[in-house]
Amino acid sequence: MSQELLLECSFFIPLRRDVNLSDGMPHLSDAWAWLDDELFANFGGRTIAPDEYDGFYRDPDTQERVFDKSRKFLVAIAPTQRAELRSLLAATCVIFGQKCIYLSIAGEVEFVTYELP
Amino acid sequence: MSSPDEYTDLKGKVFSLARLDPDEQDLVCGLISRAKSHPDWNEYSNFWMAAVWEFYAAMGLTRRETQQKLPYKIGQDLCSRIGIAAGYVRPSDYRDELEQLIRTRFSNRREFCEATGLAEDMLSHVLARRKHLAVDTLAEALARVGYALHIVPIS
Repeated sequence: MSQELLLECSFFIPLRRDVNLSDGMPHLSDAWAWLDDELFANFGGRTIAPDEYDGFYRDPDTQERVFDKSRKFLVAIAPTQRAELRSLLAATCVIFGQKCIYLSIAGEVEFVTYELP
Repeated sequence: MSSPDEYTDLKGKVFSLARLDPDEQDLVCGLISRAKSHPDWNEYSNFWMAAVWEFYAAMGLTRRETQQKLPYKIGQDLCSRIGIAAGYVRPSDYRDELEQLIRTRFSNRREFCEATGLAEDMLSHVLARRKHLAVDTLAEALARVGYALHIVPIS
């Protein structure tokens, strides 16, 4: 029996809420628990890479350089689950107070945002 | 984390461990024991989920069913405690609960203030963590919308 080929995905969740969009505070345990629950239920789990990831980016609204520290999540998804993962990360933007989330699907990078309908 | 027969989560909810079968009790003991060894937050995050998933997958439970099991909730709660102790996670307080109440039961802050009698300006300061509400003021405001304050155990 052949196993369906899965895609390796990784995404970064900053350890603090966005200082411009939100208050720059660490996330509540409920937020991390919510993300765990969603990843476990919809994708069968996740792996969190060791350590923190330091990074910086240009804030699209203020044009200022923003430094942050993130957790890196690794998830294996079926090719048909791309939209599902993007949708989850769009909700994650709201719950974690982020303007966007860096997502890599099989080496292709995109920034997932939450857009009001 | 209380006595060996019960587990108290971060929100003060007490769970009896006596109703777990012996294998589940061993699983919970393993989760607690590992948490007590002061693991890295990310390391423990990976550990507890894999341990609980493997345990219930072997019994044929689905992921949704596994999430309803007490060891899943305990693993997640222990992980939160480790994240809080390391300074990565913020423990919730009454202001977070107020925010959630407003978000889920009211259209906006103004509607909440009209119902509770709290001043919008004061609520804004409280939710921004610049000020606190006096206990009696908060209790009276919550009572007007059908809520109350409770003291709960935290360990």
